[in-house]
Amino acid sequence: MSERVIETSGLKKSFGPTQALDGLDLSVTEGEVHGFLGPNGAGKSTTIRILLGLIRKDAGEARLFGGDPWAEAASLHRRLAYVPGDVSLWPNLSGGEVIDMLLRMRDAPVDHPRRAEMLERFELDPTKKGRAYSKGNRQKVALVAALAAPADLLVLDEPTSGLDPLMEQVFAECVAEVRAEGTTILLSSHILSEVERLADRVTIIREGRVVETGSLDEMRHLHRSRVRAEVVGEVPDLSGVAGVHDLSADGSTVTLTVEPEGLPAVLTALTGAGVTALTSTPPTLEELFLDAYRRTDLQPQDSHTQDQGAAR
Amino acid sequence: MTGLGRLTRFSLRRSRILIGAWTAVLTLFVYTSAAATDSLYKTPADQISAAESINTSSALVALYGPILDVTSLGELAMTKTTVTYAVLVMALAIALVRRHTRVEEESGRAELIGGLAVDPRAPLVSAVLVGALTSLLIAVLAAVADIAGGLPVAGSVWFAGSWLGVGLVGTGVGALCAQLSPNARTCGAVAAGVVAVLYAMRALGDTTSAHWLSWLSPFGWSTQLRAWSDPRGWVLLLDLLLAVALSAVALGLRARRDLGAGLFPERPGPAVGSPRLADALALNLKVHATSLVVWTVACAVLGALMAAIVPSIGSILDSAGTRDLMERIGGVGALQETLVAALVSVAAIIVSCFAASVVGHGGGEENDGRTEEVLATATERSTTFLAVALLALGGVAWLLVVTGAAMAVGAVGAAVSAGQVLAAALVQIPAVWVVAALALLALSWHSRWAVAGWGLIVAFFLVGPLAELLQLPGWVAGLSPYSHVPKVPADPVSVGPLLGLTAAAAVVVATAWWRYRERDIG
Repeated sequence: MSERVIETSGLKKSFGPTQALDGLDLSVTEGEVHGFLGPNGAGKSTTIRILLGLIRKDAGEARLFGGDPWAEAASLHRRLAYVPGDVSLWPNLSGGEVIDMLLRMRDAPVDHPRRAEMLERFELDPTKKGRAYSKGNRQKVALVAALAAPADLLVLDEPTSGLDPLMEQVFAECVAEVRAEGTTILLSSHILSEVERLADRVTIIREGRVVETGSLDEMRHLHRSRVRAEVVGEVPDLSGVAGVHDLSADGSTVTLTVEPEGLPAVLTALTGAGVTALTSTPPTLEELFLDAYRRTDLQPQDSHTQDQGAAR
Repeated sequence: MTGLGRLTRFSLRRSRILIGAWTAVLTLFVYTSAAATDSLYKTPADQISAAESINTSSALVALYGPILDVTSLGELAMTKTTVTYAVLVMALAIALVRRHTRVEEESGRAELIGGLAVDPRAPLVSAVLVGALTSLLIAVLAAVADIAGGLPVAGSVWFAGSWLGVGLVGTGVGALCAQLSPNARTCGAVAAGVVAVLYAMRALGDTTSAHWLSWLSPFGWSTQLRAWSDPRGWVLLLDLLLAVALSAVALGLRARRDLGAGLFPERPGPAVGSPRLADALALNLKVHATSLVVWTVACAVLGALMAAIVPSIGSILDSAGTRDLMERIGGVGALQETLVAALVSVAAIIVSCFAASVVGHGGGEENDGRTEEVLATATERSTTFLAVALLALGGVAWLLVVTGAAMAVGAVGAAVSAGQVLAAALVQIPAVWVVAALALLALSWHSRWAVAGWGLIVAFFLVGPLAELLQLPGWVAGLSPYSHVPKVPADPVSVGPLLGLTAAAAVVVATAWWRYRERDIG
């Protein structure tokens, strides 16, 4: 089994009366791109800040490369690069100066060929002063600094906020490339399509707790698929089939959502009715995401343990 | 002007604590000065001799301005407030205008306002209004405080007029300086430089034969108004005209530039970083490089100006009567020694502001998330703390060395030796270290408290005079680290207090260091 690059269990942190993390379990394996999803205020940045040793945990365990992220912060940081969600630059330093300074501060080489390559691909002018950059360009400075030299781990906190779609595309390519080199990536985001495209595994959190975790395939397996079919004759009555929801018929067309265990029965019924066209779509990450939230809304108390159990 | 009223109310609300605290302190000081003076002198003769002794000390005249009518109780009571504390009125006006113009532009918040139904000129006009209204508020309260303290009504009102005038000029200076650079700190530094030059011109004009220099400075006008006897009301028109002219030029410059831009286009920076820019201390030095150069030059000029006063003290007092007085207190030499000690104590307070600025900036770096970016690299907590601490502590020591050296060079020909002058400046270092250490402790407790250094400087500056006026027990004035510095060269260099202050600073810095390593960042 590969090394756990990040491992937290029962992580707790409160800011005054606000419980930011309430027993968070996160595990990121070496070499994977791990999507870290949650709405604003769910605790994504708090988790990352504990993992970077910027803030102290109240309770629970947090390990980074097997070490203590608080006590060994500086030495652990030699192996990683971090892109904050809201990049702030020094007003009188140029972008190029900031990139080289951050590289030197993590003891990474500043003359790696990737530095020039990244500047070019992100179309970033490194001679502008910090205060002259737009939000998107500030984000690019931090991304170039993180990607310009190899690292074992990239910690990216909503890295594409402020980037235009073309740059999001460049970012996605870069992530795929460094992943191919074996870099582990923790990708916090609420842009679902991005995570869906890049992530091997996903952890969805809410109110400081994990509501869903696993590979996308595993998670899809546990959720309803959307089925749309056209039949020759009468639309069969599917309302009695276990696991069928959102049923609607329009002439010879029927659409429904179905849980994995109800799918064989639905297919049998449709085949019997003389199906001429059939599409079955696995749930998108967006649907998983909304589904995870809907269920915690309904069962705010004990959803945590249930979802954890279901996901495994 | 669309949005002006709303914007002004919004700004006043946002700055209500700054305005309230500053106004309260100034009003309190005016009241205690007014109330205490009457009881201080039993006979008119006592009062006149007190006023004359101030006039004979060019150190005090350089600091406070002359007393034009020695028979006026009001003028004697308001000696310190007319010019010296008027600097605080001007500083508040500048700070307010800068805060609601350039700081807003630099942070991008001005863009948010610019997108609303607001006239493009409204933010600047509103900031000028905030400065003017605050000056008016302070003036009204100062007049009330003087009258309540038992001073004549007419004089109190004219005196308040001089503060209003200085506040209005400060508003204009702030508005103009805010147009110059896209960097709010640079704008603030330029404005501070303007205040220093205006103050220095008055000090030179009042203490040398070049009296016309005082007439070039609003601080000189405040004395020349002669608020307490035979007032010349037209002098206030000078303040008003200057304020209107400065504000008009500021509005003109604002109309010719883009939001967020300075007067000159920003030059591109290097595409690659210097190999030296590789740790938190180098970063902090780079960030403060311009500021440090400006401070160094300013301290050299300040030291030279102060030194210029020293030899003149003998000639000013060269009359039969005063020479007799002088011989009794120890001759020209003793007088110059006292003067040097008084001047370097002022320099120490000014230099402390550099430490407050560096530590306050450290808090800003953390609040804006830049400290986090550094700490996410292989940088130790201790390094980011020491980067701030070393620059603050080393910076003030360096600036006092510069001030002392400039004074020592400038004072050649005086009765005090260059070595004595330099020593006078150097013994201030431990006291300033204590102030810097306390500011670091505030930063280490929470980044938001990093600006506490400014409050400490004002508090330590005021606690001595206030304790004297209110006749508080001696230990109250002793709270200020500045009060423990030996008055070199008038007094010998006593090692005890210096070691005590240094030890206190070391303990506070060590506590701050420990706390900074333990707490959450951000």
